[in-house]
Amino acid sequence: MSKDYDVCVIGSGAGAGPVISELAKAGKSVLVLEKGPWLSEEDFFKDEMACCRRSTYTPNLEDEQHVIEEQSNNGNWVSEATSESGWDFWNGNVVGGASNFMSGYFYRLKPADFRLRSEFGDIKGANIADWPISYEDMEPYYAKAETEIGISGQVVAHKHQEPRSTKNFPFPPTSEHPIVKNIDKACDALNLTSLPTPRAVLSRPHNGRNSCEYSGYCGSYGCHSGAKGSSRAALLDNAVATGNCEVRDNSKVYKLKTNAQGKVVEALYFDVNGKPQTATAKQFVVACHAIETSRLLLSSTGPKHPNGLGNNYQQLGKNLLFSAGGSGTGEFHYSKMDQLTASAMKTRGPFVNRGLQDWYFFDDKAFGGKAKGGVIDFLLRHPNPISKASSAKYNDDDNLNWGQPLKHDLKTVFTGSQDLRFEVFNDWLPTDNCFVSLDNNVKDKWGSAVAKVRVGYHEHDLKVGAFLADKAETVLQQMGADNIRSSVSGSPPVNLVAGGCRFGDNIKTSVLDADCKVHDVDNLYVTDGSFMPTGGSVPYTWTIYANSFRVADIIKKRG
Amino acid sequence: MNKQYSKLPGINRRQFIQAIAAFSASWPIAGIANIESLGISHTETYKNLSDPWLTIASVQEHLFPAGDSTDAASPGAEDIAALRFLQNMLEAPDTESEEKTFILNGVNWLNDLSLKNHQKKFIQLNTANKENILRQIETSNAGYRWLSLMMGYLIEALLSDPVYGGNKDQQGWKWLEHIPGFPTPTIDKVYFKLGAHASPRRRIKA
Repeated sequence: MSKDYDVCVIGSGAGAGPVISELAKAGKSVLVLEKGPWLSEEDFFKDEMACCRRSTYTPNLEDEQHVIEEQSNNGNWVSEATSESGWDFWNGNVVGGASNFMSGYFYRLKPADFRLRSEFGDIKGANIADWPISYEDMEPYYAKAETEIGISGQVVAHKHQEPRSTKNFPFPPTSEHPIVKNIDKACDALNLTSLPTPRAVLSRPHNGRNSCEYSGYCGSYGCHSGAKGSSRAALLDNAVATGNCEVRDNSKVYKLKTNAQGKVVEALYFDVNGKPQTATAKQFVVACHAIETSRLLLSSTGPKHPNGLGNNYQQLGKNLLFSAGGSGTGEFHYSKMDQLTASAMKTRGPFVNRGLQDWYFFDDKAFGGKAKGGVIDFLLRHPNPISKASSAKYNDDDNLNWGQPLKHDLKTVFTGSQDLRFEVFNDWLPTDNCFVSLDNNVKDKWGSAVAKVRVGYHEHDLKVGAFLADKAETVLQQMGADNIRSSVSGSPPVNLVAGGCRFGDNIKTSVLDADCKVHDVDNLYVTDGSFMPTGGSVPYTWTIYANSFRVADIIKKRG
Repeated sequence: MNKQYSKLPGINRRQFIQAIAAFSASWPIAGIANIESLGISHTETYKNLSDPWLTIASVQEHLFPAGDSTDAASPGAEDIAALRFLQNMLEAPDTESEEKTFILNGVNWLNDLSLKNHQKKFIQLNTANKENILRQIETSNAGYRWLSLMMGYLIEALLSDPVYGGNKDQQGWKWLEHIPGFPTPTIDKVYFKLGAHASPRRRIKA
C-alpha cells in the first residue's frame, strides 16, 4: 500500500460518517475500511426474510461471534458463545453500519446528562462520571446534525426542553398515524405533555435524497427512498463525490500497529479474499461499534501499550452501556370501534410520532427525592407478519400450536386489534459488571480473538424502568386499551450499545481525552458511541453523530 | 424504536445440535409411500411426489389445513405452496446441510413410529391418528425441534414475499388482511444474493 492518507477511518456507521464527510470536504484524503459490503437503495426492499429472518446484513455466527457472560442464579458469571446460544449481538455490518436499519428516533441529551454525578450524586455499585465537556459544547453539533443528517420534528415547549441554538427543526414532522390523536387526547386528560418525536427521516426531499415513502416498515429495514438519515445516505455518498474519500468495503481491520513512540503507523486488515493488507495514514479514527472498537484496541498491543491501545490503566472496555428500560403493549379491538374508526386505526404507513419526557427528571420519595428518569416512546407493533405470526406458534400450555387452533389464533392476531406499544428508555448505569474483554479461546474466521462481553446491570435501572412503565400504562388505560401489559428487565438490547472507551480528563480513569483522542496516543481518535461515560436516557445515535461532527472539527484544526 | 433483545427466537443452535445427535441412531427406512394413499386431494401440486416430500406434504397439510370454522376458503399448506417454499429454502446457500439432513431424516423417524403404532405409514393414517402421532413425537426433544422447524417454515411460507416460492398469489397476506410494504423484493435481490451472501461489488473511487 503505497499511498499515505491523511486520515484512515475504521468503520463507516454513525460515529464514522461525520468525520469522513467533514474531512473529505475539507480536502483531506480519507481512507475508509469497512468490514461489511456496500449496499445501496437499490438493494433494500420490504423483505422480512432479508431484514429479520436470516443473517443478511450481519455475519454468520460461525464465522464471527461474541462470547456473552451472564450471571447465573447462584451468582457465578457463565459465558456462552453466541454461535451456541443464537443470541446475535451484531447490528448492521455494511457500509453505513447499523444506521441503515435504525428507526431514527432522535433525541438530544439534556444539559444535566453531561454532569449526572454532580446533579444526582453517586449510586452505590455504579461508576457514574461527569462528562469532560458540557451540553453547550455539543449543542452546535446537535444543530449541525439536524441539517446534515436530515432530522424532522417540531419543537414544543415543555419543562425539560433542552436549550437550542435554532428555533425549530429544519424539516417538518413526518406524517402521523390517526392513533396519534387518541394519544394526545389521553395525555391532555392526564395533564401530560405529548411530544412530537424527532426523527432522522426526511419529510421532504433534501440534498439528492427523496422524502419518506411511508411504507410503514422502517426500523430493521434498509431505506429504499434514501429518506432515512443513515451515515451512508446522508454523509458517505457525498464524501465519495468529493474525490477525496476512498471506501474499501469487505475490509476487516484486526490490529493497529504502533511504533516505539506509541504512535499508530499502520492499520492491518484482511481484504475480501482474506489476504492481509496494510494501510498507512497520519491520523487514525476508530468507529466500528462500541464492542468491536474496544476489541480492536485490546488486540492492538504495541511497545508502549502492552495491554492494548489506551489500556495502560486498565480502563479499556470498561463501563460498557446498553439502554435500560423495557416495553409494553395495549390492544385496541376493532370490534369495539365503528367501521370508520377501525379503518383509520388499520392505516399502515405514517409514524406514531409521540413520546413523553414528563419524567426525564422527577422527585419521588421512593427514589430519595430528586432522581433521573427517562423517556417513553409510543409506536405501533412492528408490522413484520412472520414475526407477528410466530407469537401464535405456541399454545397456552407451551406446546406447539397447529391446525385449526393456530389458524384461529393467527386470524385474531392479525385482524382483531391494532396494538399500541411503548418503549421506556432510562440510563443503563455503568458498573464493574458490564465490560468488554478478549476471549482467547474463541476466534473469528480470520483467527482473531473475539470480544467477550459481560452484560451485568444495576438493580436501580429496573426500578426506574418500572416507574416509567407504570406511567406509560396509565396513558394506555386512559386511551381505553385492553390487555395492557409491560415488562422491564436487565436484558441488554443489542442494538443500543455505547461506552467501553469513556472520555475524561484523567488518564487513570478514562481511555479518551475530551477531544476523543486516546490519552497517550498522539494520532488515534475514537468517534463511535464508545466515548460516552453515561448514556443518558434516549437512543444514542443523534449524540454519536453530533460528537463525530465535533471531533471532525478538532482533527481539522490539527492541520 | 424497536429495541432488539434477540434475533430468531426459538432457534438455539446447541439444542439443534443435540436434536440432530438424537437422530444419529439409524432408523429403518420405510418403504416408498404411495400417492394414492395420501389423505389429501390428488392435485397437481402433489402429483409425482415420492418420499420424503410426500410425507412432508402430508405433515404440512395436517399442521396447516385449508378452511376453518369461520372461513371455509381460508388457505391451507397446498394453497400457500408450503412444500415448494420449504424445498427452496433447503436449497438456499445459507441453509446448513445439517438442518436439511435433520428435516429429511425426521421423515424416516415419523414413518417408523407410525408403522410401529399403526402398521401404516404416516400419510395413510386418519386425521386423529396423525394428530396423536405428531403430539407423541412432540414430547421428545428431537421431535419437538423437528416440528418446530416445520412450523417455522410453514409460517414463513404463509407470510414471506411470494418471490421465495410460498404465499402463492399472496393468499397468506390476503387471508390475514396483511398490507405488505413496498418495494417488494425482486428475484435477483432475494436475501441470499445480498450482503454477507453476495459476491462483493467493488465501488472504489481512487
